[in-house]
Amino acid sequence: MTRAVLITGGGGVGKTTIAAAIGVAAAEAGHRTLVLTVDPARRLATALGLEKLGNHPEPNPRLQGLFAAMLDSAASWDSIAYRHAPPEVADRLVTNPLFEAVASRFPSGQAYAAAEEMAVHLESAEWDVVVVDTPPASGGIDFFEAPSRMRELVGGRLLRWLTGARLPGRRGLFNLAGRPALRLADALLGGPLLEQVAEFLFDLRTTYDGIAAKAGTIERHFQAAATVVVTTADPGPMREALRFHQVGIEPALVVFNRALPDEWARRAEPLVDGRSAVALNENLSRWALEVQRQEDARADFSGRVGTAMATVPWLAEAPIDLEGLHAIFAGAPALTLDRLEI
Amino acid sequence: MTTTSSSASRLAPAATSPLLDRSLLFVSGKGGVGKSAVTAALSILAARRGQSVLAISMTEDLGLATHFGVDHLGYAAQEVRPGIHGLTIDRSRALDEYIRLQLHAPKIAPLGPVARGLNALADTVPGIRDIITIGKALFEGGKKSWDIVIADAPPLGQITSYLRAPMTIAGLVPVGRIREQALSYEQQLGDRANTGLVMVTTPEELPVVETNEALEEITAFVDIPAVITNRVLDPLGVSEQTLSRLEPGPHRDAGLLHRGLYADQRRWSAELPEGPNVPFHFGVHTPGEVSVLIADDLGPEL
Repeated sequence: MTRAVLITGGGGVGKTTIAAAIGVAAAEAGHRTLVLTVDPARRLATALGLEKLGNHPEPNPRLQGLFAAMLDSAASWDSIAYRHAPPEVADRLVTNPLFEAVASRFPSGQAYAAAEEMAVHLESAEWDVVVVDTPPASGGIDFFEAPSRMRELVGGRLLRWLTGARLPGRRGLFNLAGRPALRLADALLGGPLLEQVAEFLFDLRTTYDGIAAKAGTIERHFQAAATVVVTTADPGPMREALRFHQVGIEPALVVFNRALPDEWARRAEPLVDGRSAVALNENLSRWALEVQRQEDARADFSGRVGTAMATVPWLAEAPIDLEGLHAIFAGAPALTLDRLEI
Repeated sequence: MTTTSSSASRLAPAATSPLLDRSLLFVSGKGGVGKSAVTAALSILAARRGQSVLAISMTEDLGLATHFGVDHLGYAAQEVRPGIHGLTIDRSRALDEYIRLQLHAPKIAPLGPVARGLNALADTVPGIRDIITIGKALFEGGKKSWDIVIADAPPLGQITSYLRAPMTIAGLVPVGRIREQALSYEQQLGDRANTGLVMVTTPEELPVVETNEALEEITAFVDIPAVITNRVLDPLGVSEQTLSRLEPGPHRDAGLLHRGLYADQRRWSAELPEGPNVPFHFGVHTPGEVSVLIADDLGPEL
């Protein structure tokens, strides 16, 4: 069985770094590991051995057993069309102007494309561990809701509303007569758009069986996966982190990134010697205020949810190589492979 | 507002005006850089100047509400501080309002089925959801009841699809009221004297890289009068040598962290266009306090 680890959380909290650090630790422990990432900072991509965007896993040149791939959602959408629709319909779909628009802007679309890509790797039997750095839209919740949203999109509810109760053939899709609601929509949006939408949805329906089945599989992968919610001790990211609990997703671990050492707030024997003593005393006392704020924020968070928590120290420089990623994992005692059932 | 011909879709560049003299400001930036805090701070500053302010949250995130010290912002404008009203754009309510406004004759048919269908359509057809949301902000921005409307906009990565929505709709829809509306929205967005987008970033790698990538794309739709850099550290004033000679312990570690973060920030802020800086605020507990502090920081710079 391949172990799936989903790394999620709000924007700017360091998800990709944590995903990479977990991947490195798993590979070092001898597991054949794939890190699927979305849009890493350049130096991190280099550390992972990734030079370009591509769905194909690249082996890390320095760590045996570590592979990485960067999800390319535009390419994934094309492959979804060809995977689930007959070739001639898929050809028509990918050239429809709405397809491109839906592929790039349907909010759940990119998330779904990433989830299908994840499923491909989970089912390939090639990996012991697949670590997924989830796309950032809506703090990662989108990723979990994407399968049901996609099922709805291709399910034809909207198509039935546009075309009447029964589904006609591709020709004569549209009949405004006797449908006052549709006439209003037509006045607002213009008939040609509605017609284009109807045709697009009609073609998209051919993907329904495939996508509905796949969406169900993806949802089972989600349930079996270990979910890691990454946050900082700042209010915005913490609100995002709490939303996972509110929608019923129980994380295996909540990681507080950019944590400061508790002892900075406690031992404050001031320096007396040297020119710089005043500056250093002041510096420590302002950081001590920040430590206190972080502690209060974490206490507040753990008061609301019972999930296990780990802290990852705040580093002056983002990790740029495997050693840096290794150090992150090693510096966070509560972040263990056991906890993630790896 | 009416648009009579499609030639009005692009305005010639006009004079720009000072930030708070405009009637509509969007605030965007990479997630997590503090754009809600800056939205609230700009609102507070405008109110201090005696302006009547509407602050809008364009997403369902509660960030803006907390920065005004309230739990929640509804769809109807409510006063959150003296001189400042706030609201959250709830898309289905906005759609409903839009339909009623557009049809002029709300009693023609029950709205229920149309609204439900359009809601489903808005989830599918790109641009509709976005134009309803940005349209509500633009509609409020055109009202006489507010001196300035400041909108906490979706983050980078999503914002362009909102800004592009009028053009997307105009491209997909050859005729109809929504097309006319879209063209007039496009014109209002491009009005450099009255509309602007304030970009917020922090001096770190990803926010800086993504901000710079987005600047050019966004200025095709709306003027960017300011890039505000948030959480800027000041120099420690202690040399690395001095630090390395210290006994290991909190003073040394805190000094090393500060120096390291400061050096990294310097490197990345050099890549950004000139703009107001907001200092890092140590140990500030509540979002309500943060927005007031940022308003104090930005006041002299604007």
